[in-house]
Amino acid sequence: MNLETDNRLTEDLLRPVLHTTRRFYVAVAVFSSIVLCGIATWGYQIYNGMGVTGDNWPVFWGFHETNFVFWIGISHAGTLISAILRIVNATWRRPVTRCAEVITAFALMIGALFPLVHLGRPWLAWWLIPYPSERGIWPNYRSPLVWDFFAINTYLLSSLLFLILPALPDFALIRDRTTGWRNRVYGFLSLGWHGTPKQWHRLESAMHIMALAIIPIAISVHTIVSFDFSMAVVPMWHSTIFGPYFVAGAIFSGIAALIIVMALLRKLLHLEAYLLPLHFQNLGKLMLTMSLLWGYFVFNERLTTWYGNSPHEMNVFWSTQNGKYAPLFWTMVICNFVIPFPLLTIKRLRSITATVIASCGVVVGMWLERFLIIVPSLSRKATSYSWGAYTPQWPEIVILCSSFAAMALLYLLFSKFIPIISIWELKVGQHPQMKAAAEVQDAEAAGELI
Amino acid sequence: MQNTDKQGQQGTPHRWGMSVDLDRCTGCEACVVACHAENNIPIVGPEEAARGRAMHWIRVERYWEGEFPDVALKFRPVLCQQCDEAPCEPVCPTYASSHTSEGLNAQIYNRCIGTRYCANACSYNVRFFNFFSPVWDKPLHLQLNPDVSVREQGVMEKCTFCIQRINTGKTAANAAGAPLKDGDIKPACVQSCTANALVFGDLNDPESQVSRLSHSPRGTRLLEELGTKPKVTYLQRESWNESGNR
Amino acid sequence: MTAIYGLYATPDGAQKAFDRLRAAGISENEITVMSSEPLEEYQFGSRDRQTVMPWLAILGAATGLTAAYFLTSLTQKAWAINTGGMPIVSNWTNMIVMFELTMLGAVFATVLTLMKTARLPGRLPKFYDPEISNGKILVGVAAPNARDADIVEGALRSARPEIIKSV
Repeated sequence: MNLETDNRLTEDLLRPVLHTTRRFYVAVAVFSSIVLCGIATWGYQIYNGMGVTGDNWPVFWGFHETNFVFWIGISHAGTLISAILRIVNATWRRPVTRCAEVITAFALMIGALFPLVHLGRPWLAWWLIPYPSERGIWPNYRSPLVWDFFAINTYLLSSLLFLILPALPDFALIRDRTTGWRNRVYGFLSLGWHGTPKQWHRLESAMHIMALAIIPIAISVHTIVSFDFSMAVVPMWHSTIFGPYFVAGAIFSGIAALIIVMALLRKLLHLEAYLLPLHFQNLGKLMLTMSLLWGYFVFNERLTTWYGNSPHEMNVFWSTQNGKYAPLFWTMVICNFVIPFPLLTIKRLRSITATVIASCGVVVGMWLERFLIIVPSLSRKATSYSWGAYTPQWPEIVILCSSFAAMALLYLLFSKFIPIISIWELKVGQHPQMKAAAEVQDAEAAGELI
Repeated sequence: MQNTDKQGQQGTPHRWGMSVDLDRCTGCEACVVACHAENNIPIVGPEEAARGRAMHWIRVERYWEGEFPDVALKFRPVLCQQCDEAPCEPVCPTYASSHTSEGLNAQIYNRCIGTRYCANACSYNVRFFNFFSPVWDKPLHLQLNPDVSVREQGVMEKCTFCIQRINTGKTAANAAGAPLKDGDIKPACVQSCTANALVFGDLNDPESQVSRLSHSPRGTRLLEELGTKPKVTYLQRESWNESGNR
Repeated sequence: MTAIYGLYATPDGAQKAFDRLRAAGISENEITVMSSEPLEEYQFGSRDRQTVMPWLAILGAATGLTAAYFLTSLTQKAWAINTGGMPIVSNWTNMIVMFELTMLGAVFATVLTLMKTARLPGRLPKFYDPEISNGKILVGVAAPNARDADIVEGALRSARPEIIKSV
């Protein structure tokens, strides 16, 4: 434990919290205005009715539901990095855990808004809460939407706790190093943390238990979101593959989002010494694995549909392969597979820029994938007289854009008030034993062929 | 007041069903108009209808078969099948879509929060959504049926087998002290069908016309293989060859 | 006097101070250690490791499971509504809600145990020193009586602290 490197570490990681640039204020202003546009549009939609969107008969779900699944999917980044890598003791995770957990928390909050946005009567959404009502009625626990309520709330609460608890020592750090309002606010937030061995042990036990708990929660959340589709007997929805398919897709898109966010943080907050090419390499390899897994699931789904040749399903199948939705389908394949595969497989190409390009492609591709699951099936249900089409309208597009702006805004505000890299966890990684273990892992990683 | 509304057997509950004779249907769409009038269904206007927002609780589907000059035109009135194992019911988070003891799929407007999951789950696409607040230009507002509610924006709706008429019929039978007879209750579409293609009645009454038709050798059910157990029987057209023989 | 403590720049120094205090007859319970990071490799940092937290987490999970079972089955029976011919108490679907509340129970139990055993939220000890956040490790004794005060100070000094204070 070298006091000098530790203090340099602390200075670097506290600098974004303690010093604010003009660029920050401009960014907050820009993103806030986009978010306000989104909120105003939502108000417009509530006032005038869902008719202002592109939803119609029979395509009753469109962009809003796509965004819902997409953002819940993005939220799986944190869980993979934080929880799974914590449990397998991968030391390279240390600078990355909090960045990832923040994505999870905010993506979940944004994703959880979309079920409210898509409701015809959102002012009654509280009827999903199980409480003894004066009408004597409870939610219908057989409905996947009620499962969503429980799953997303459980995951959101657990993720927020998983994010805030290990931040307590960092709040204490800021409390001790500042005066005035910062000292009072962080003093309050740190809950009196004073770093006795007992407190450290309890915190680490809690983190370990929560890491173990949050992995099945995360898997269940996106499985339950997939049940929103697979429980209905709609052609190409009613498939047993949906659970694992959605979870794999979620982790895939989550890693892509994480890579983009890390690259931006590295650049804008000058964290080049902490978010290393090694991190992007490792995450890139994980993303490659998920890309292959995603491709495997898509191949499974497509082959069984085509081979089974059920007429209702084939209508939907062909509309995505060479029909109306074909351009979107093939764009998705290019973004999710064709572009990332060479960039992430060939070691020489796997630079930070390359992983970011691949990640941007994956984010677009995975949004398209959610859209292509929802809309083509609804537009081609069993009886051909009731086939339809869907064209998004401006409210849906504005709300989509403002969801991205909301993510950026929330992330900006978080990194302003809380160190985006967990300072104490990084310091632990500098301990001689930990360093030795990390060096062994890095040597093994470097010795690989790819 | 004693409940004398029993038919045949003592106290057997009703099980409402319908049959549609595709041989008799001329595609005149009187049923569609009558349904709109009876059930206060909004007219969405040509622009919205072009965008797929039309709300016809009963619709006449038109299918063309073959190439000119051997073109055949087939009509099929489609309405809520009141499935016994309705896929739209388990998915509603607020129990707005549920099953009554008389076999109807009830849509309870007051519970609906507009998730539209039921509409997606329905394989027959017979559920409709109020995308906007309904508007009746004067003087059409005078024609609204006081026995039926007007739904607000954000609420799902669909064919109810004219439950207001069913309830009125049962109440009248009770008041008169006489049992309900087959044909006493007629939903608006059944009442207005010019070709008598639509028949409504109690499937639990073996003597009722709809019961007998549901066992007809011409009888089929729509998308029966999906296992929804629909209660509307479609009587297939007989086919005739050129010399007029079957 | 509330406490005497020394601030050490290295964990080895802190360990030495700890050992000298133990050698001088001060019991472990009376020695307070505070640091800005966990130092489990050192003996002074590996105290109070035993915890009942995992068992309480399991208990919390069981509570969540039971609560969910009763919430779903009792409310479904209270007003039996037929939906699609599914059973009134439909166990397969209720299991999903039960799973989520089980996990939530485990998480809440863990967090509540953490708060209680780590005494959060709580007050800072009176002799907390912000230098800890500059990487120093605090080793001290709270409220030593007059006789022990000199022994404590001597033990702490002999491990060569950066700062030594009495408050």
